[in-house]
Amino acid sequence: MGLLPYLTSHALDEDYAVVAERRATEPEARSRRPIGAAGAVALAVFAVFTVTAAAQTSQNSSSEEHERQALIGQVKARKAALESDRRTVARLQAETDRLESGLLHNTASSGGVLAELNLLALRSGTSPVHGPGVEIVVDDAPDAQSDRNKVLDRDLQALVNGLWRAGAEAVSINGERLTNLSAIRHAGSAITVNYTSLSRPYRILAIGNRDTLPAQFADTTGGQTWLDLQRQVGLRFRMSTQRSLRLPAADVPDLRFAKTVTSEGKKPS
Amino acid sequence: MIAVLGLLLGVGLGLVLKPDVPIGFEPYLPIAVVAALDAVFGAARAYLDGIFDDKVFVVSFISNVFIAALIVFLGDKLGVGAQLSTGVIVVLGIRIFANVAAIRRHLFHA
Repeated sequence: MGLLPYLTSHALDEDYAVVAERRATEPEARSRRPIGAAGAVALAVFAVFTVTAAAQTSQNSSSEEHERQALIGQVKARKAALESDRRTVARLQAETDRLESGLLHNTASSGGVLAELNLLALRSGTSPVHGPGVEIVVDDAPDAQSDRNKVLDRDLQALVNGLWRAGAEAVSINGERLTNLSAIRHAGSAITVNYTSLSRPYRILAIGNRDTLPAQFADTTGGQTWLDLQRQVGLRFRMSTQRSLRLPAADVPDLRFAKTVTSEGKKPS
Repeated sequence: MIAVLGLLLGVGLGLVLKPDVPIGFEPYLPIAVVAALDAVFGAARAYLDGIFDDKVFVVSFISNVFIAALIVFLGDKLGVGAQLSTGVIVVLGIRIFANVAAIRRHLFHA
């Protein structure tokens, strides 16, 4: 007999049939017993079981629902955190891009500033320069007795002024580079430039167009003055053009009082 | 009558007391309920057949519940608890259907 037909045919406990048969043969057996106290108690126990199981299941499901809601809340909170993190990332990326472009801009403009600085150093005489130009050597008259036939500070001033006028771009006297703070003057018996005493002969180097510089210098008042000095008191003057000259940098003292006027035009009080 | 009273009393007790099932017995309660259901339907059919016996009902009830719980317990220990539970449910379910079919025949003569 197969399992399923057996199960269906023996669905009822066989004890009932056995007991009923025995009861039918035994004389003291009652014809039909009502459900007694024991059966009622068993039914009560069955009801308690059922209710408890149902209560347990619903409780579990409600607590599971609670957990599910808590998990959903956590997921939402994490999603929100992730979203805000993403926004932060995007914001930081934008800031990075902005800073990078600013950096590039600064690099480019710093290159410009550096070039300007170099140019200014060149012009003001705080950096060495080289280039074509003229070399002028002047000296006292061969048999100088008095100041009249010696080279004086104002003679050198006239010479340098003439050179500037003729288009010289950088000038040095005996290795002293002339700047906007340079002075040529007598101190005692010597001529000082940049507070350094010079001794004759005076060798003046001027960087400029070596084709036009000598002629233009001769046209200036300084050139005329020196022509006169040569003729009348016998000062020695020799000019030669040079293919390449090298002028040193001037040792410029720090500016302690002069301040830049700010671009707003406000003067510091 | 006393059967209906017992049933109502049990439902009331269960609802009022809400007994807390120990965590160790929790997996066995549903299977015990199904086994008890089988015993109850068997008793109902026997009653209608006219061969109901109080003692047989109580004994079959207790033994059904106990054996069902034992099978699941053993299955849990052997690692096949879920499969054995399914087997027990299938067997008991078939018995319940067969008994209910007999009861239906008695009540409706169909």
